[in-house]
Parts: sequence; C-alpha cells; structure tokens
Amino acid sequence: MGFIDFILGSTKLPQPKSERLFAIATARVTLEAKLGLKPTGSAAICIKPLESSTYERTRAEIEDLLRLGSRETGTAYRIENDSYGYMWVVLTDPEFEDLVSGVHMVVGSLTDSGLGQQLLCAVYPFSNGFKVYWIFSFKLGAYYPFVPSREKPRSERDSALELRLRSVMAEELPIEKDVERWYPIWEMPL
Amino acid sequence: MVRWSADRGLQARMLLTMFLLAAVYLIFINVIMAMGVGIQGVVLIMGVFLFIQYFYSDKIALASVGARIVSESEAPELHELVGRLCAIAGLPKPGIAIVRTDVPNAFATGRSQSSSVVAVTTGLLRRLDKSELEAVLAHELSHIKNRDVAVMTIASFLSTVASVIVQNIFFLGDRRDRESGSLIAVWIVSLVVWIVSFILIRALSRYREFSADRGSAIITGRPSALVSALMKISGTMARIPKEDLRRVEGMNAFFIIPTGAIANLLSTHPPIEARIAALERLEREIL
Repeated sequence: MGFIDFILGSTKLPQPKSERLFAIATARVTLEAKLGLKPTGSAAICIKPLESSTYERTRAEIEDLLRLGSRETGTAYRIENDSYGYMWVVLTDPEFEDLVSGVHMVVGSLTDSGLGQQLLCAVYPFSNGFKVYWIFSFKLGAYYPFVPSREKPRSERDSALELRLRSVMAEELPIEKDVERWYPIWEMPL
Repeated sequence: MVRWSADRGLQARMLLTMFLLAAVYLIFINVIMAMGVGIQGVVLIMGVFLFIQYFYSDKIALASVGARIVSESEAPELHELVGRLCAIAGLPKPGIAIVRTDVPNAFATGRSQSSSVVAVTTGLLRRLDKSELEAVLAHELSHIKNRDVAVMTIASFLSTVASVIVQNIFFLGDRRDRESGSLIAVWIVSLVVWIVSFILIRALSRYREFSADRGSAIITGRPSALVSALMKISGTMARIPKEDLRRVEGMNAFFIIPTGAIANLLSTHPPIEARIAALERLEREIL
C-alpha cells in the first residue's frame, strides 16, 4: 500500500498470491509415501461470483482455454455453479502433473484478464479410503488441509488428522500458520 | 527401530544456562563474603528449610492441589498405561494421583525416581483419547527420568536465598552492618542476583519442558499424539473453524495475535507453538 493509498484509503484488493501454488506437485510424492494418500485424479478452482456479463465472458474464455489445453493433455473439464453462486472449474486427469499445469493455466489466464481477485481457492483432493483436501487460498498464498470427518462429512472435520498433515508436510508445502484461517469448504463438487 | 539423534542445540542451551546460573551464584557468594556481612545464618536456615521442602515437596505439591492417590483397583486403565510406559522407559512405576478439576493438566512430583507421583486432572482424562493421554503421561515420566524436581530445586536454592535477603534485609545483619551502609549494597547485589537467576531458572525450566516433550515422543514413538494433546489442552483444536470459506469470504477480518516477548522470558513453559514445532520436526524425522 502506497502513502497516497494510506491517506486516501485504498479500494484495491490484494493481488492473488499464486507463486506457491506449484508446491503441491512435489508434495504429492511425500503424501503418498508417508501417508498413503493418492491423488483422486481431479482438482478444482473456485471463483467468486461475478456480474452476469463478465461471468459469461469469463466462462467462455475459460472454456476456450480448457478446450485448447485438453487437446494436448487429454484433461477433461466441467464448469459448475454451487449454492453460494461460486463458479467451480473441475479438471479431471489421471496424470497429476497435467492437473497441476491445468490449474495453473486457468489461474494464469484469469489473472491476465484482470480477474485474479475473483480467485477464491484451488483444491487438490487426495484419498486413502477417506478424502483429504489441500486447499490453496489465493488470499493467504498458502495451503491448508481440510478433512471432513468420516461420521459427519457435511459439518464436522477431523482436526487431529489435519494437524498431523501439517506436521508431516510443513517442510514441503507452504502451509497457513494461523489455524483460525483454515476455513472449510463443505460439499465440494469433487 | 528408530534411532533418535540427540538434540545438541537444546543440550548446549541447557548447559549454557546452568553455567551462567552457577556464575551468577559464585559472584553472589564472593561479593557477600567480601563485604563481611553476616548472612551465613540466613544461608544455613534456608538450607535446612529447602532440605525439608525437598523431602516433603511431593506431599506439599499433591496436598496443595487436592490430588488423591488412586489405587490399581480404582483406576485400572490409568495404572495399566503408566505401567507399560514405565517398562519402556526403564523406570520404577510411580504413584498415580487424580485431581478433581475440569482444568486439563498433569504434573509429576517427587525428589527421586522411586518416590515419584504422577498426577492428572479429571478434565484431562475427559478430553484426551488414549494415545494422547499416553503421550502426556510419557511427558511426565520423562520429567521423572530427567530428575527435574531435584534439578530445579538445586538450581533455585541460591536464588531463593537472594530473594529472602531482598525481602528481609533489615532484620538481618548486626548493628555494625546496619550503620555502615553495607546492607544497602548487599540488598542491591541480592536484588540483581535474584532477577538474573529468576530469568535463567525460567529458561532452564523451559528447556527441561522441551526435553520432556522429546522424551515423550521417544517413549511413545508418536510425536503427533503429544501434538494433538497439547492442541486440545491449549484449545488450538477448537480454533480451527467450521464455518464455510465462501460464507466468511468478504468479511476479511483482521487477526491480531499478541506476541509477548516479555511474557515468554518469564514463563516456566515454552509457548505451545514452539513445543509443537519441535515435535513436528521429530515427527518428520521418524516418518
């Protein structure tokens, strides 16, 4: 924030911090080796609601981009809206590297077209009989774990396991330090 | 079998602290003797007092919090847990006491390994699951194994003498001392020794906590169990939100976390985050 902004008040939103998003590509090996967690073959980007004209344009842009991209890597995609009005771009590919680059492509193009501030998070689900989500917040520029409890997957989380995930992965993933910001996302479309 | 490397950094810091403490005490004794003030009596009385305290400290500590020793038939599961941990740690089985309070806590007391008692509160038993309880008990057993009660009692002996001098200076010394003004000098020296040694003792205490955490991880083989116990006791677990990200997005609340450097300097236990970070390093070591 510049001095003028400080005096006059700034309406600028912080730019998305996506530099550290890539860390998941290497962390994936450790997740599988140490905890038996395998990628589920999908990943998603959650985008905040936009005003309708921009929304249509963005959606068309993303679809064009994905259509081109998927020709190369064979990544399948779908776009969904959830009950909060957020747009989800869900990518499916058995190759984890292709998923990661797919997510990057979408994030990059949204940032380029000035919609970076609308990025809420990227999600990488893993599984070992139960689901573990690594959520990357573009606001925080960091990951955090989210594990819905096995008994009540819609309202309770397994915090003990989440904290263990943090212990194990702290050196490889940039993990948000303040656990109070580990907001869950219930009932994700993946 | 996991081979645990010794934490050289921790050992070095502990040694340095003890060395500084010894240095402060030596200076203290020398200055007092050089001034020729008659405080030998004070040291003697305090020595006897602390000797008694040393032998009865376990009973005093237990009685002061209302801990009740429980027999094997009263708390079979707790006895079983402690027994097994002692077998692993190579310790004689200590007495077990329960304190009726909902505050989750545990402590170990006793001057020697054979006369020790491990006490847990009902609040702790209610909150922790079995592996977390095991980790906390192993932490307390490590205190016993490291003879922390004895170490801390000895470390604080001269500090206690200095504090007694500071508080009761004008009842001490004979008339000649009082008139010469050297009592004021003794008072100042004692005050400095008291403050410096207090800070050093607290540092030593924090290092012994780290050491006991490490001991717990080695005995149970599961640093993560102690991490989650510490989180539960400190309420960190409860701080993980349940509210959906999409609902809170846009509120953008400020989070202010106070960092108290002074508070850290004076506390007997290290901050929970530091203890957890150390345990997390261990966790990565064994995986």
